[in-house]
Amino acid sequence: MRRMRMDIDRRRLLAGTAAVAGSLAIPAVGRAQGAPIRLATLLPLTGAGGPYGPVMGKAVRAVVDEVNGAGGILGRRIELLGEDDQTNPEAGVRAARKLIDVDKVSAIMGTWASAVTTAVAPLCWGSGTFLATVSGADSITALPHQGFLVRTQPNTTLQGRKFGEFALSQGAKSVFFLTPQTPFADSQFNNIRAAMEKAGGKAERLIYDDKKPAYRTEVDQALAGRPDALIFGGYTPDTTVLLKDVFRAGYAGRKIAFGYSVNAKLLEGVPPEVAEGIFTISPSPAEGSNAYRRLVKLIGVESPDPYTTQVYDQINLIILAMALAGETNGTAIRDNIRKVSQAAGGAMVDNALDGLQLIAGKKAVNYDGASGPCDFTDAGDIQDCRFRYEQVKAGRITLVKIA
Amino acid sequence: MNAFIQALANGVMTGALLAVPAIGFSAIFAVLRYPSFAIAGWVTLGAFAGWIANTKLGLPSYALLPVAFLAAGLIGGVVEDRSLRLLRPAGALTVAIGSIGLNIIIENVIRFLAGNDLRGFNLPLLPDWRFAGIRIGPQQAENLVMAASIMVAVFLFLKFSRFGRGMRAVADNPDLARLKGIDPKRISFVALFLGCGLAGIGGVLIGLDTSIDPLTGYRVLLSVFAAAVLGGLGSIPGAVAGALALGIAEELALLVAPPTYRTGVGFVAILLMLTFRPRGLLGERAF
Amino acid sequence: MLSYLIFALTIGGIYALLALSLNLVWGSAGMVNLGLAGFFGVGAYASAIATGAGAPVVFGWGIAALAGVAVGLLVTFATLRLRDDYLAIVTLGFAEMVRLVALNERWLTSGADGISGIAAPMKAELGTGGFNLFYLAVVSLIVLGVWWMLARLDASPYGRTLKAIREDQELARFAGKPVLRFKYEAFALSAAIAALAGALYAHFQSYFSPDHIQPLITIYIFLGLTAGGVGRPAGAVAGGYAVLLFIEATRFAADVLPGLKAVEVAAFREILIGAALLIMLHLKPQGFLPETMPKAPKP
Repeated sequence: MRRMRMDIDRRRLLAGTAAVAGSLAIPAVGRAQGAPIRLATLLPLTGAGGPYGPVMGKAVRAVVDEVNGAGGILGRRIELLGEDDQTNPEAGVRAARKLIDVDKVSAIMGTWASAVTTAVAPLCWGSGTFLATVSGADSITALPHQGFLVRTQPNTTLQGRKFGEFALSQGAKSVFFLTPQTPFADSQFNNIRAAMEKAGGKAERLIYDDKKPAYRTEVDQALAGRPDALIFGGYTPDTTVLLKDVFRAGYAGRKIAFGYSVNAKLLEGVPPEVAEGIFTISPSPAEGSNAYRRLVKLIGVESPDPYTTQVYDQINLIILAMALAGETNGTAIRDNIRKVSQAAGGAMVDNALDGLQLIAGKKAVNYDGASGPCDFTDAGDIQDCRFRYEQVKAGRITLVKIA
Repeated sequence: MNAFIQALANGVMTGALLAVPAIGFSAIFAVLRYPSFAIAGWVTLGAFAGWIANTKLGLPSYALLPVAFLAAGLIGGVVEDRSLRLLRPAGALTVAIGSIGLNIIIENVIRFLAGNDLRGFNLPLLPDWRFAGIRIGPQQAENLVMAASIMVAVFLFLKFSRFGRGMRAVADNPDLARLKGIDPKRISFVALFLGCGLAGIGGVLIGLDTSIDPLTGYRVLLSVFAAAVLGGLGSIPGAVAGALALGIAEELALLVAPPTYRTGVGFVAILLMLTFRPRGLLGERAF
Repeated sequence: MLSYLIFALTIGGIYALLALSLNLVWGSAGMVNLGLAGFFGVGAYASAIATGAGAPVVFGWGIAALAGVAVGLLVTFATLRLRDDYLAIVTLGFAEMVRLVALNERWLTSGADGISGIAAPMKAELGTGGFNLFYLAVVSLIVLGVWWMLARLDASPYGRTLKAIREDQELARFAGKPVLRFKYEAFALSAAIAALAGALYAHFQSYFSPDHIQPLITIYIFLGLTAGGVGRPAGAVAGGYAVLLFIEATRFAADVLPGLKAVEVAAFREILIGAALLIMLHLKPQGFLPETMPKAPKP
């Protein structure tokens, strides 16, 4: 990855200058010296996850540049490596092996497909490499990962319930859940149904084949019972096709989808009337948090989708954990990540730069990020988070509420 | 009963979407005798060409199809002809495997230039018409008419034009054709131009219903193959018949089988067809 | 770095087995199999399910090979009367079918979650490092064994008959060879080898999922076999290892391409792989270790 090294060398020069110039402002952070700290992203850049990987990489790169620009951590700069997992666990394992064995990275971030994460996780805990993932399968945090894995994606129990409750709050008595075959298709539906039935409503579902150019009969089946709301459980490419067919069928009820599937890219790709009025749900920090706005500014993307907000939090947390530990290996990250993500009485921070300053001043920090408070259970799941409810209005994703 | 008729109508509409690229695939197979995997790449290229014409140059909907046809036809014709021509003496399988390599290259050149972002046409989508409880998509009805007219046009072209007669001769017996003074090089270029161009038109139609990204063509590749095999490899009317049969089989199966096995329906249909009619619905004669 | 080499050689061995499998049907018998990933998946799941139910690992590998034979016979039966071009498409569809079943039959395969915690033989006794070395040895020995067996077969009258069928089926039939039986046997044996490769992979990684059954690996093996030499077991083995080396080497392509975005680098890597396949077919259609068939004497 000489490109990155060259980049970083140039940045290091700038960083050095900046550190000298800024040494009054940031006395505790010196000029970056010593061997670089190696971190890596393992993202889907080709294959089915391709629409998500590139912008996730952009967010991580932006944070690393920012931190290096301010002098790095522990007097060392960060070298960011990146590999493509090809949305394929076989290729993902080969890439992870290279990152772990040859580059000796301390942490891998951003694995997206659940199969890739499950395949890569044993290599990580076997080698003491930290793994932060956005995958949704509930089974992932049940792996014997010895603490070397955290997941920033809310688990399906939490999300399913929120979908059901939100549909109810919109006055829907019956919902229909359309989803491809994912590791969470079952549990998601069970939680939606539980929420609906608790309030006397009902839920049905259909699992579709996700590579088809049309879903006319699937949509007919979904609409046959005249549901008050449709819930879409897929990803951007298949949800695009479904939404078009739902529009053609003249469905006028409510539509609810994941924030990662009905995202800014989807809106650019469909006629405005197709997506108008859809509600989306994404994990979110509490109202008034700056982290989300900061991320928007940092990467210049107006409505970053949940995977991007999550991977942004992952890199920030890993940087802070290393700074607090005074060490940069995977074990140090594992042992310290909860001390920066959820320290009792710690000062709230929403970005690595502020956190680094506080840590240098021996103050406890509690990171609250763009995807939520990022407090982890022992198993590596997030404890709780708010959800941002947004709605597509006049072709733009508009905030409805955070709750 | 209504559900059955609706599923039937849905099948015809889904099938019509696949018919045009299936004609393209069959046109190449009819003359050059190899299954071209690169057809997926040309579908994607056509979709992107149409997208550029629509959103960057502001061309209206009716102009997109000729643009996609020419772009995919010219680029596809030249590239596939040049890159695979020398492999033809080694046999159809070698060329087919070469076309797999070519498809990887096309998909990734597009990814390199355009990224993975999903795109869509700047065209309004029309809600379905309803007749006696059955809904029909105006766009899909247009697709069907278009697929039928393209089939007729290709059929007439192959039947009556000088090139067409040459192509037919090459398809039937390349050596004899050469003896008769037909230039197989020119013929093979025209076949590829036609096949890739039709794939490109298919790309625009598919792009209207789905999204445009580097995998647009790959997602429908198996269905296009299934349609062509069902109708009889290399038969132009067979491609249309096969596409409609596949669409109907898939949508009807949804009434009784789990929808997640939809791709499997095509596979089972192929196996059944090949067991009872090994040369497909309409046999293998091109026209 | 050493552990990476050990890992790469193990995966290379599994690729070599797949290439040997493909070489037997394609190189020797002239039948194309674009569903290699499907047989790979059948073996992986068969062994994972069997050992998950308590069978010893070696027993699981046996079951995988048998499952390969059974599925291989089934596919041959369904496709026997088909020409090559139909066979290519049908086998491609077969692999997708295997993926769909693995994805949807949750009771059997754990569905999209995949099966994790597949028994890694001797890992508890040997530790991670020791296990990796041990497994490399096991895979390499199996590659050597299968290679030896197929090389013997290749040189035997049986192997020559297969090649006669490849060259001219009708002539072989005319010469009194039971063409059908040969085809069944070749396809079933080939499927068994691919399934064994899948089982070896599953127990090495301790994890297998429907996402593993994508056409990607089939394409890699076609590239490897083409480069190594179609029709010769030694070529298949060399090609299997070489293609892994090549794919891994393309990771470092980013080093010579300053200023590209990550997605552009990823696309460029894939372009290299597609181009390698095309270039190989053009420049060295017989591969680097071409088939050694005595030429017919000139009249």
